[in-house]
Amino acid sequence: MAQAEARGVALVTGAGRGLGQAISRRLHRDGFQVAANDVPDSEGLRSLVAQCDALPVVGDVSDSDSVRDIVATVEDRLGAISLLVANHAAMSMKPFLEQDPAEWWRQVDVNLTGTFYLCRAVVPGMRGLGGGRIVIIASEAGVIGMANATGYSASKAGLIGLAKSLGRELAREGIIANAIAPSYIDTPQLQVDADAAGISLAEMHRRYEAVIPMGRLAQPAEIAAVVSYLAGPYAGAVVGQVLQPNGGTTRCRA
Amino acid sequence: MSSHLLEYDGAGRVRVAVVTGAASGIGATTTKLLRENGWTVIGVDLQPSDSDLSIELDVRDREGFAAAVDGVVEQFGGVTLLVNAAGYDQHIDFTDITDEVWKRMVDVLLGGTVNSVAAVLPHMLRANDGCVIAIASELGLMGCEYYVHYASAKAAVIGFVKALSLEMAQTGVRVNAIAPGSTDTPLLPADSEWRTDAYVHTLPLRRIVDPLEIAGAALFLADEGSYFNGEVLSPNAGAVI
Repeated sequence: MAQAEARGVALVTGAGRGLGQAISRRLHRDGFQVAANDVPDSEGLRSLVAQCDALPVVGDVSDSDSVRDIVATVEDRLGAISLLVANHAAMSMKPFLEQDPAEWWRQVDVNLTGTFYLCRAVVPGMRGLGGGRIVIIASEAGVIGMANATGYSASKAGLIGLAKSLGRELAREGIIANAIAPSYIDTPQLQVDADAAGISLAEMHRRYEAVIPMGRLAQPAEIAAVVSYLAGPYAGAVVGQVLQPNGGTTRCRA
Repeated sequence: MSSHLLEYDGAGRVRVAVVTGAASGIGATTTKLLRENGWTVIGVDLQPSDSDLSIELDVRDREGFAAAVDGVVEQFGGVTLLVNAAGYDQHIDFTDITDEVWKRMVDVLLGGTVNSVAAVLPHMLRANDGCVIAIASELGLMGCEYYVHYASAKAAVIGFVKALSLEMAQTGVRVNAIAPGSTDTPLLPADSEWRTDAYVHTLPLRRIVDPLEIAGAALFLADEGSYFNGEVLSPNAGAVI
């Protein structure tokens, strides 16, 4: 396939799994040089790196020093980052009172604080470029909440506040921040959800499909296409928005 | 897997669009961008439009609209995209909004949207493939003084889109809205308050929206927005967050 026009450097977190792989592949196809972060190193990350000629940057985004190292490595090897896709996520489902506070807070540390560290680390480089794009993968759980996922929902709602505020603060500099709040995506996370609910993967599919007005789960490539749009030439006036490719779930009564 | 996953490359799909308000502003820019990207566009407007087929009619004419679409759809092989951009605005004190002023605005903005959807929907449902994009407005999200009738009608369009999207959800037809912020079109005259430095300085982006950014949003929703249904995508320079 012919290489698309060079589009700059994209740092994608959580790149070794499901949605992160799809986003990285799409951005590579769009012409971005992809730096692929995940932790720990995995077969998923290595195969993605090979497919996308990506720079692997293994490291924990919930650690401030580690994020500084990740971004420094990318800038040193590839140049300043013009696109950040904060896609990493930690999720553990438990009834509110049954969840260990440390586990509750870990989700906030990874999802929300980790993204704060990343944004803080990439913005100076974007300023040097005269602009950039930040795409934060939130969740419909951050919009309408989710039972047995209070920590996850709080972290994702926090990400929406972060995207809106960064949108307001940075747009005048050409740095455009937005969030995407997907609902159910057909990724390996479904197996995790099924295990948590003590049901089969097929039954998990059926339950989710039953509460999605469109009657099917999202394919990872469909969400990756939204990232591609927000990173692209036509989305420069989309500022601080929460795009909701969710098949209608936030408005269903199930 | 569900049968109505859209083809990302457009292969095998009928890519025929109806665009209302196609003669100027957002409608004209959308028509041009869609055609550059392989869509065949039937342009509907009071004025002739630069499109593959220009139909001159008033969007308030429900029967005329449906008859016109029915009359041409066969020669194009179907209609799978509607972009409803016809409209006008009007700065007016609320107390000066007469019955006639109110009715005209609601009939054009909301009625025009309903009429155009009614005209294309049977063809989309027959093909189990369709994308409806209503051009609403940020004023339908946040309201605006001296535009009470316009903001009300645009908000009603958003309500219509959300309701219809649920009703269509199990078909292959997706229904979404785009709510532009102040956009650089003939709808904003040179002396518009929305072109002043004082206003632009209130925008996080410090500029108004380019019509190509609305057309680009429509192109994205049409070609790649296959999991959006009931969305209100608002390229508004940060005016409404």
